[in-house]
Amino acid sequence: MLPADARLAGLYRASCQNCHGHPESGAPPAGYHFAWDPRWAQGLPTLLSHTIGGYNGMPAGGQCFACAPADYTSLIRFMAARPSDEN
Amino acid sequence: MISRRTLVTGTGAAAVALGTVAAGELALRQQRDAEAPAPPATDANGHLLWRNWSGNQSAYPAARVAPASEDELVSLVNTATAPVRAVGAGHSFTALVPTQGTLVSLDQLSGIVSHDATKLQATIRAGTRLGTLGPALADIGQEMLTLPDINKQALGGALATGTHGTGQTLQAIHGSVQSFRLVTAKGDIVEASRDSNVEIFQAARVGLGAFGILTEVTLQNRVLTRIRKRVYAMPTRDAMDAWPGLKAQHRNAEMYILPFTGMTAVITGDPTTDPVVPRGPDTDVDTLMDLKALRDWLAVLPPLRRYIARKAIETTPSSEAVDDGWKLLSNERPVRFNEMEFHLPAEAQTQAALEVLTAVETNRPDVFFPFEIRSIAQDDAYLSPFYNRESGSIAVHAYYRNDYSFLFEIVEPILRRHGGRPHWGKLNSLTASDFALLYPRWKDAVQIRQTLDPDGKFLNPYLRKVFGNA
Repeated sequence: MLPADARLAGLYRASCQNCHGHPESGAPPAGYHFAWDPRWAQGLPTLLSHTIGGYNGMPAGGQCFACAPADYTSLIRFMAARPSDEN
Repeated sequence: MISRRTLVTGTGAAAVALGTVAAGELALRQQRDAEAPAPPATDANGHLLWRNWSGNQSAYPAARVAPASEDELVSLVNTATAPVRAVGAGHSFTALVPTQGTLVSLDQLSGIVSHDATKLQATIRAGTRLGTLGPALADIGQEMLTLPDINKQALGGALATGTHGTGQTLQAIHGSVQSFRLVTAKGDIVEASRDSNVEIFQAARVGLGAFGILTEVTLQNRVLTRIRKRVYAMPTRDAMDAWPGLKAQHRNAEMYILPFTGMTAVITGDPTTDPVVPRGPDTDVDTLMDLKALRDWLAVLPPLRRYIARKAIETTPSSEAVDDGWKLLSNERPVRFNEMEFHLPAEAQTQAALEVLTAVETNRPDVFFPFEIRSIAQDDAYLSPFYNRESGSIAVHAYYRNDYSFLFEIVEPILRRHGGRPHWGKLNSLTASDFALLYPRWKDAVQIRQTLDPDGKFLNPYLRKVFGNA
């Protein structure tokens, strides 16, 4: 499972997938609603803030230092399985 | 690792009995374990926050770039605002990466470039994360000669910091480097090996990202091999006595001293052709959180903490797995921490470890992370902590939300007194004059670095202290 956009897919493969593609890492698996829904309920701004600054097991920037904030937003939406027009 | 039933029963009973004490501990714990607020996402200039894995280092680089080719990297280095610092996974605890200038992500320079099935060598781009390199090498029937404990680092970062695995006959990762390509401050691409640019090969093989930016590395690998991994516990004093034998008997051997328990976990790995027995779900995080729970409730009563922990550990069965080495030797390690690790003369390792254990157990009951004891063969890279010395490493960790000042105050003095050289990516307070005494080829390395980067384009404030270019 990869983002449809090729550039995002490259960013995802290089960084996010190292944890979000491996359930044993403790990170919420990409596309897994049971893990993502309670996080999504906190709101996208909170998730973006936790992504950039780090929170709990999530290291700052998700170890993606080629990512811009818009990339983080798109990648969060992809992993949370939330279309871009859904809040 | 720890028997849950014994632990829960023991801790629960103790907590009830301790009532008032535990309530006091609760308030302390909430304060001690609170997540510190992250720095602002952007600075006054709108520059985005960069922060390392544990969160103890941060910066707001003016530019963040991610070249997709070596040529693009050359052009970027030629025009970039200094300091230019390459970053992989950001797994170093020392301030190697922070820059107000240009942050270079190597994420787009990843993957295997080519391989030689006869020599069992592979040329790999420096931005490749170790977690993806294992399966990629397995696809061509190869595996790295050694693997570190964590699989998140980028290959370039692992080499730059002298990252290592464990095994008395196994060198650190840089020991298997046959050649590399380095983009220098002048925009040149230098190819270095034992036959070409030999001095650069020896000086920049463990280079802290200060000699240039590695783009490709050719590694000597071996044929993909299955190993048998065993994990079991024994009393710490017995484990220290057994360590020389364990190192000699097993290709991979390491120990985790579990402070405030009197016990140590032993992990061994040996090649085998036996059928696969998967490692199963990770239990290390549960074990770690169990040790934290004991700390949370019983830090004020060390004898009870030790008694319950020991009973729980003693009743936990040993575990065994058989699989490809890359699946068993490196781990996810999802609980973040800060870490200090020094590499000591092998003969000093167990004595120093026991001194560290005594010092921590005497002074810092809040510590619960295991101490990691490993073994590394010597090599000849000028800035290798294992330069011309069979080494034993001691790593002490602190939960990322907890104060880690004790590492500098009580752990580092012991490790330095025993002749330790710090891991380049892990916490230490040493500067150029200290390194000059610890590294026989220090002056040569500094001179070569200066020749390659006369204007200090790759030096951030921390590296200026390391290399004496203040």
